[in-house]
Amino acid sequence: MGSSKAGGQIDVDDIGYEVPSGTYEEARALVGSTRPVRFGEVEVNAPMIRHYAAMVRDPNPGYWDREFAAQQWGEIVAPPGMLMTWLIPIEWQPAGGRPVPLLTAQVPLPGDTFLNASNDTELLEPIRVGDHLNVVEELTGVSEEKHTAAGRGHFVTTLSTYRREDGTVVARSTNVLFRFRAGGAP
Amino acid sequence: MSVRLAEGSYEDARAMIGTRAEVEFADHAVTWALIKYFCAMVQDSNASYWDPDFAEAQWGGIVSPPAMLLTWVMAPDWQPQSPEPKTLLLARIPLPDPTVISVETDTELFRPIRAGDWLNVEETLVDVSARKSTELGEGHFVTTEAVFRAGDGTPVARYRHVLFRYTPRKPAGQ
Amino acid sequence: MIPGAHYDQRWWDDVHEGEELPRIDDEITYRRVVMNPATTWDYFPGHHDPEYARSQGQPTIYINTMHFMGFIDRVATTWAGPRSFIARRKMSMRRPIFAGDTMVGAGRVSRKYTDSGGATVRHLVELEVTVSNQRGELCAPATVILELPARGAG
Repeated sequence: MGSSKAGGQIDVDDIGYEVPSGTYEEARALVGSTRPVRFGEVEVNAPMIRHYAAMVRDPNPGYWDREFAAQQWGEIVAPPGMLMTWLIPIEWQPAGGRPVPLLTAQVPLPGDTFLNASNDTELLEPIRVGDHLNVVEELTGVSEEKHTAAGRGHFVTTLSTYRREDGTVVARSTNVLFRFRAGGAP
Repeated sequence: MSVRLAEGSYEDARAMIGTRAEVEFADHAVTWALIKYFCAMVQDSNASYWDPDFAEAQWGGIVSPPAMLLTWVMAPDWQPQSPEPKTLLLARIPLPDPTVISVETDTELFRPIRAGDWLNVEETLVDVSARKSTELGEGHFVTTEAVFRAGDGTPVARYRHVLFRYTPRKPAGQ
Repeated sequence: MIPGAHYDQRWWDDVHEGEELPRIDDEITYRRVVMNPATTWDYFPGHHDPEYARSQGQPTIYINTMHFMGFIDRVATTWAGPRSFIARRKMSMRRPIFAGDTMVGAGRVSRKYTDSGGATVRHLVELEVTVSNQRGELCAPATVILELPARGAG
């Protein structure tokens, strides 16, 4: 199970996808760029909603009670916390290859690991069973090198716009992730 | 971290032979999303699971891998309406041993299981063996039989399961 | 058509008893074992909690019954094709597959026959499929009965 990390590279077998190494300057050059739209590989569905709501122990009847949800929302709704899940590519496809990760993991930077720092999500529409979501991601910021208790690295800010299949924007999410080299104080 | 298994004696367990558990109804239909995740885990590229046009022509819709039978009637381990999660019959059989391992299964499918099907399961305790000793430890072989039915009551599959409910020989590592 | 999905079909007429199935090797990482509960909802701790697995006398976490089943079915239908119907699978689990092991799937056709008992004639093959590990130890022997399409059938 062990892997050697040469020169700060993230081991693709550990993570499951390619995470590029690079410099702060290379990352800065990408700020303002947007990725092409990505489509979820599964429809919003009730069993996954239940599974997640069970994990969080959330008794909101919008997630559990079909009758209530139909009256209130039209359908069972997904917890907003599941937004990313609907767009995370499935680990494996018959065609092979590695899944493409979220934009925040595609930014070339030094630093062989990451921790998520903050997330600000605005929900404009309920997300209902049967919806098929897509996301457009934009890299909106890369900070200078910072030193935190976790290590030395850069804060990567991305803005994700989530839409339904009919084009309606259902959510916007600003996420800040810390991409760093482990090792406490500088 | 432990698992909730009913505690009791071999005689308690023998007394339960022939007991039929209440029919358990699925909380969710057979769902393509879950089929994809399972097939990704097993790395099965059978077009019946991935290609809706092919599956429609061949089976009348996307079909479930037979291995997912239990998943279609499994509940999450927490629900707002009840404090205890639904458990398989196995967990309710009183025996003195703390853990369990699966030993043998015999699955028979009577028709393809399609996305959209709502299944239910009826389990019966068929046998509890006398105490046996194996490499792994000492315990009893428990046999259950389950019938899976569709919403209209038609049997879709039969599943026989033998498990070893045991006390480990080597409790803490090797 | 889905890229990478399997469409090649074996016809009952072309199968002969004794035919070997193509071998499939699959490396099972910790991640794959943890995917067991994630995809099957079977949270038995032997499949995700190494401490619990050790308390059971096992060296580490190991795959669940449904993963064994899914892999055996994959070995069978990768050879047989996606128009085959798995009518029955009998399986014994003799030895676990642990995180770090490689699953080796192999099989052969043990019987080819028809069943005229129902409304239509069914064209069936019986397969002996084995799952072993990278040390050649037998982990799960199984018998699988598949219904295959036949040329000239209705």
